[in-house]
Amino acid sequence: MKKKKSETLYPLIVKIVFVAALLVLWEYVAKSGLLGEHSALIFPSLETIGAAFIRNFKVGFAGSSLWIYIGNSMKLLLEGLLLGIGLAFVFSGLSIISRTFSIIYNFVVSICDLLPGVALLPVVIIIFGVKPGVIVFLVVHAVIWPMSRNILDGFLAVPQIYVEAGRNIGLKGFRLLTGVYLPAATSYIVSGLKVGWARAWRGLISAEMIFGIASCPGIGLYINQMRTNMNNAEMYATLIVIVIIGVVVQYGILSPIENNTVKKWGMTR
Amino acid sequence: MSDILLELKGLTKIFTDDAGTAEVLRSVDLKVPEKEFLCILGPSGCGKTTLLRCIAGFETFTGSVLIDGQPRTQPGTDRIMVFQDFNQLFPWKTVEKNIQYPLRLSGIKDKAELKRRSDEAIAKVQLTGWEHYYPYQLSGGMKQRVAIAKALALKPRIILMDEPFAALDAMTRRDLQKEMLRILGEEESTVIFITHNIQEAIFLGTRILVLQPGGEIVYDEPNTLPKPVTPASDEYGRLWGTLNAALYSRSQG
Ligand SMILES: Nc1ncnc2c1ncn2[C@@H]1O[C@H](COP(=O)(O)OP(=O)(O)OP(=O)(O)O)[C@@H](O)[C@H]1O
Ligand SMILES: [Mg+2]
Repeated sequence: MKKKKSETLYPLIVKIVFVAALLVLWEYVAKSGLLGEHSALIFPSLETIGAAFIRNFKVGFAGSSLWIYIGNSMKLLLEGLLLGIGLAFVFSGLSIISRTFSIIYNFVVSICDLLPGVALLPVVIIIFGVKPGVIVFLVVHAVIWPMSRNILDGFLAVPQIYVEAGRNIGLKGFRLLTGVYLPAATSYIVSGLKVGWARAWRGLISAEMIFGIASCPGIGLYINQMRTNMNNAEMYATLIVIVIIGVVVQYGILSPIENNTVKKWGMTR
Repeated sequence: MSDILLELKGLTKIFTDDAGTAEVLRSVDLKVPEKEFLCILGPSGCGKTTLLRCIAGFETFTGSVLIDGQPRTQPGTDRIMVFQDFNQLFPWKTVEKNIQYPLRLSGIKDKAELKRRSDEAIAKVQLTGWEHYYPYQLSGGMKQRVAIAKALALKPRIILMDEPFAALDAMTRRDLQKEMLRILGEEESTVIFITHNIQEAIFLGTRILVLQPGGEIVYDEPNTLPKPVTPASDEYGRLWGTLNAALYSRSQG
């Protein structure tokens, strides 16, 4: 008897079967020696990767567990995100209050949004030297422009009637900004957060891979060290860690924010 | 006369845009005493909304808008607007919070007092039980009720209503008209109510005004028909005919 596919169960089953098939294929390639004598190195078996996963945390590299590297990356990421998001709100908010500022800031955002952070890296290093602050700078750069773009677009899209309803009950200036513009633009702000986070996360790992900072070694540096030491299984295991962190942020932070705001208010675009 | 609540003196509004300039209101004079329910009828584009928006402080204008003799040029909680648009409530706030928020802004900080005021207003528009719903979960008619409750709770000097029921179906519209009448019996608020609907103006208004382009007042009389007015009321047909004639006096066939 064929039962009706559940709306939520079916996609889940599809995903699980897909991943399982990939893993089987991977294991087959790893075990079969299809790729010649280096097969085991290029395609380490799942057990090897699993063991490496544990070793990453237990042994790690240069005397520090992968936890330390993750912690360092997260610290810089968090600093950069908070600073970037905070600045995006401040500058976008000022754009609502001052027209001149708005013209300038929109212009700046359009230009800076086009600059890949990694391309700025050499310049930043020349000016500031190799310091953890450089990573923070890159994270700020990754998050502030898409975040600002979304906030500014969100403000523009606020229906006039909310603004008038707000002014009618006595809101103006800063109060109008926090009481009407920000909540009304929430769906834009949430997409800004998503884009900003994704860019920041990538930017962080790339920057750490290009130049590891000895005083504050992060995940990118760790992967790079695994590569230079030909610890391929550890490399793969670390990639899995990176994916896990991404998933945790998506489902542990971003989705709840969305569920508790725009979804709850029926404001999804 | 000290009981004049709102006075318009030479209210003139000129819109200037790429297409040129348009004098939408030409020196409008009007006095609205306290506790009046003033219904304004007028053909589309004659400047009804513009008039209300000038009073509410959403537009710049020349001439003056006086509340209790004091000039007003900016929006304020003494004049609360109820729009035609169903989406005038803040979607991020529940029914209750939509009503309490303006009260909080006006200085009421005590939670119990806020709750009491919002419950009272919600009960008046018969939405008890819907306090914790979000606007997207309400029908158009219910949203308009909340908007009215929000205005009532604030106890403004005057409530400005711009065709608040125009986008509703006929049945809901009747219900809301009846409710409006009942509420006003209890509240004694002062209201300016814009409508396209002659029946609505006769049913609700204690005074009826007909505007023509330029904001010219071509009819301005108290509505003496005893409430509740039905089409069977004495004089209903005659008043309807008079208003209809005033409404169409400027249109050529
Ligand atoms: N922001 C504006 N800029 C330029 N012209 C405007 C603006 N708002 C209104 N007008 C013009 O003013 C005139 C009166 O508009 P208004 O909205 O006050 O009419 P109304 O009587 O409310 O009409 P309706 O019954 O259709 O709502 C119209 O000719 C309109 O084109
Ligand atoms: Mg209008």
